[in-house]
Amino acid sequence: MSLDALAVGETVFTTAYPVTRADLVAYADASGDQNPIHQDEAAAKAAGLPDVIAHGMYTMGLVSRAVLEWAAGAGVDARLTDFSARFAKPVVVPAGGTTVEVEAKVRRLDGRSVELAMTVTSEGEKVLAPSRATLTAN
Amino acid sequence: MLNTSYVGRSLPTTEPVSITADAVTRFAQALGLDDHGTVPPTFLISLTLPAAERLIDDPEFGLDWSRVLHREQRFAYHRELRAGAAVSCAVVIESIKTVAGNDLLSLRTEVTDAEGLAAEVWTTLFVAAATGEGDPA
Repeated sequence: MSLDALAVGETVFTTAYPVTRADLVAYADASGDQNPIHQDEAAAKAAGLPDVIAHGMYTMGLVSRAVLEWAAGAGVDARLTDFSARFAKPVVVPAGGTTVEVEAKVRRLDGRSVELAMTVTSEGEKVLAPSRATLTAN
Repeated sequence: MLNTSYVGRSLPTTEPVSITADAVTRFAQALGLDDHGTVPPTFLISLTLPAAERLIDDPEFGLDWSRVLHREQRFAYHRELRAGAAVSCAVVIESIKTVAGNDLLSLRTEVTDAEGLAAEVWTTLFVAAATGEGDPA
């Protein structure tokens, strides 16, 4: 798909990912961020948090996955050139797990690139706000 | 409070580190990404944050990692990095904004390989005021 086929304001994808504590342990091992608030309920509560929280960078990583899956699935001939997020609220991950939802809209278009604005929520809270990704035509 | 005289200062560039195929695979799998040997978009944080953590060891700077929250993150990818690349990180302290004893510390890291600048990574950390600092009341 060519970037010309997109329109500003258009929703290009909506997706959701389950998140479990086992996912956070795997991310901690892969990233090297072993802060116990992302794995251990007692440590999280001792730090004043309601429960275990996801690494902000884990959530941002899921958003990168959503963008790349959309681009691959839609056959967008472009590569990710800019990606940003502000960590507004933590993703709380109770023993039974939770879900992160990602919705992306076209924020800006020029002939060579598209900027997507993502709304990222968990349990009704905006967890990344804003989060943006720019894809530039190959 | 952080030592604002550090704004504009650069940390010594780190020695080149090879991004192994195994590290890329594990990172991709942890996020459910397809692994094509391309360095995942957020992978560089696992190099840039440790490069900045050297600031903790500097008592003149006053950074207590136990009071740090990750506030904002941005990556600009100038070209594709693939597993096998050997990259160095050059961290610059871009700004420190102080509000009521809390600091917002913004860092920019240039990630370079043998061909030059590959990516820039911006990280903003919220550093909470130490007890007894900040609120003048």
